Amino acid sequence: MGKALLSIKNLRKSYDKFEALRGIDIEFNEGEFVVMIGSSGAGKSTFIRCINRMIDPSDGEIVFSDGVHMEKLRGAALRRKRAQIGMIFQHYNLIGRVNVIKNVMHGQLGQVPFWRSLLGLYPEAEKRRAVELLEEVGLSEQIFKRADALSGGQMQRVGICRAVMQNPKLLLADEPIASLDPKSSEIVMDCLKRITKQRGLCCIVNLHQVDFAKKYADRIIGVKAGKIVLDGSPDALTDEIVRYIYSGEQTTVEEAQEKPVPSSGRRSAAHA
Amino acid sequence: MRSKPISPLKESEESEKTPLSNQPKRRVVTITTLCLAVVAAAFIFLGIDLWDVFMAFPAFGSFFVTRFMPPNLGAIPNNINLIVDTIFFAVAGTGISSVLALACGLLLSEKTNSIAWLRLTVRFTLSILRNVPVLVWASLLIFIFGIGSIVGLIAIIFATLGFLARSYAESMSEVAGEKIEALRAVGASKAQMIFHGILPEFIPAWVNWTLFTFEINLRASAILGMVGAGGIGIVIQSNLRLFRYHNALALIATLTAMILLTEFLTNRLRGKVK
Repeated sequence: MGKALLSIKNLRKSYDKFEALRGIDIEFNEGEFVVMIGSSGAGKSTFIRCINRMIDPSDGEIVFSDGVHMEKLRGAALRRKRAQIGMIFQHYNLIGRVNVIKNVMHGQLGQVPFWRSLLGLYPEAEKRRAVELLEEVGLSEQIFKRADALSGGQMQRVGICRAVMQNPKLLLADEPIASLDPKSSEIVMDCLKRITKQRGLCCIVNLHQVDFAKKYADRIIGVKAGKIVLDGSPDALTDEIVRYIYSGEQTTVEEAQEKPVPSSGRRSAAHA
Repeated sequence: MRSKPISPLKESEESEKTPLSNQPKRRVVTITTLCLAVVAAAFIFLGIDLWDVFMAFPAFGSFFVTRFMPPNLGAIPNNINLIVDTIFFAVAGTGISSVLALACGLLLSEKTNSIAWLRLTVRFTLSILRNVPVLVWASLLIFIFGIGSIVGLIAIIFATLGFLARSYAESMSEVAGEKIEALRAVGASKAQMIFHGILPEFIPAWVNWTLFTFEINLRASAILGMVGAGGIGIVIQSNLRLFRYHNALALIATLTAMILLTEFLTNRLRGKVK
C-alpha cells in the first residue's frame, strides 16, 4: 500500500433539509484504484465533488498529504489545488467544436497564464506529452478531429487524457462508463486502470456496475444514504452486501447498523 | 331481451385506464374564446369593419395593376448605388452591433458575469435600447445629426444591440454548464473558461443570431430612408409622393429581389456552421 494521500474527516453535505453526506471519515493512499458503489442519490457524486470542491462541503476536513486543507481554500489557491486533481465525467464534458488535442491541452489550463493558453503557447514538452497520451489510449488517428465527431468511448478516453495532462496525484472519475456500451466500458476502464497504475496515481471511481467494480478495484467502498457502509477488498463485496447497498431507500443507516453485515478488509459495513 | 352482462372487474379495469390526455377540454375552450374576444375587442375599439377591409382589396389590386404596372426599369441604374447603400447599412450596422453585443452578452449572462449589479445595469440599459423601435431611434437621432446616412447606421446599431446581446447571453448560458464544469475542474480561470469553453461552443448560435438580425436590419434599413436616414427608402418615398408609381415599383422590386438573394445566401451559410 502506498503512502497516505488524502484524509477526509467527518465530511458532511446538506441540501436544505436533505443530508447527502452524513459524516464520512476515510483515507486514500497513493497508487490505489478505489471504486465507490451505491445506488443513485447515495452521495457518491457529492462525495467526489467535495474532494475537489466542485461542491462546497457543509462541514468536515479534506486534508492532502502536503498539509493543504481543501475545504479552506479560496480563489486562486483553490484553482491551483484543483489543477492538481484530475476529474473524469459521465458525459465526458469535452468542448465539442474543438479538436481532440486542444481538448487534451485544456488539462493544462490551470497551470499556464491566460494569455499563453489563449495563443495556444503551451510548453512544447507538454504538447508532445499530449500526443503520446493520445497514442497510448489508441487515438493517434483522431488527434485533429473535432471532439464531437468521436464515439462515446473515444470521448471518454480523451477525457482521461485531459485529466492526466494535469499531472495529478489524484484522479476522480464520476461514473465514467455510465453512458457507454459494455465493450466501450471495458476499453475505458482498462485504459483508466493502466494509465493510473503506470503513473502511480490514486484513482477514485464512482460506478454502478458491480461486475466492473470487482474486476478493476483494489479497494471497494460502498455508500448508502450518505454514509460508508463497506470499505474493503473486492472479495468483500458479496452478493448479500451488494443487495444491501442497493436495497430500497427506506432503509436508513440506523436500521442498517442493526443489521449484521459481513465484514472484510479494512472496514466492516455500517461502520462509518 | 338479453340484458348486458355486468362485470365489475371490467368496469374497474376501465376506470383504471391511463387517460390519453391530461388537458381539460374546458380550459382549451376558455382560452380559445378569451383570445378571440381580445382580438374582437381590438377591432371594435379601433372601429375597423372587417368587411370594409376585405372589400378594399379588389380596389387596391386594380389600382396597383393600372397605376404601378409595368415597372419602369429605367429608374434602376440611377438608383442602384442607393440600393447597395441600403444593404451596406445593414452589413455595417449588424457587424458593429454583433461585436458590441458580444461584449454586452458576456456581461449579461450569469455564467460569464457573477457581478450582479453590473449584470442588472447592463440589462436595464439594453432593455431601454431594445424597446425603442428603430424608426423612433432614427427620428430622434435626426435632431442630433441631421438628415444623413450616419443616422440610419446608429439607429440600426441601437435597435439591434439590445436584442442581439440578450440572445447571445441566453445562448452562452445554454452552452455553459457541464462543459464549463470540466474546465473549472482543471483549475481554469474565469477568462479561460469563457475563451476555451463558452466561445467555441457559442459560435453556431452567434452566426445564427447575427444572420437573423442581418435579415431584419436589411428590411429596417430600407424603411429608415423614409424618415431621411439614408438609403433607397427616401427615393421610393419621393417617387410615391410625386405619383411616379412605375419608378417606385421598379425600385421596390429590385430591393425585394436583393433581400431575397441575401436571405438565400445567409440560409446557405447558416447550414454550413455547426
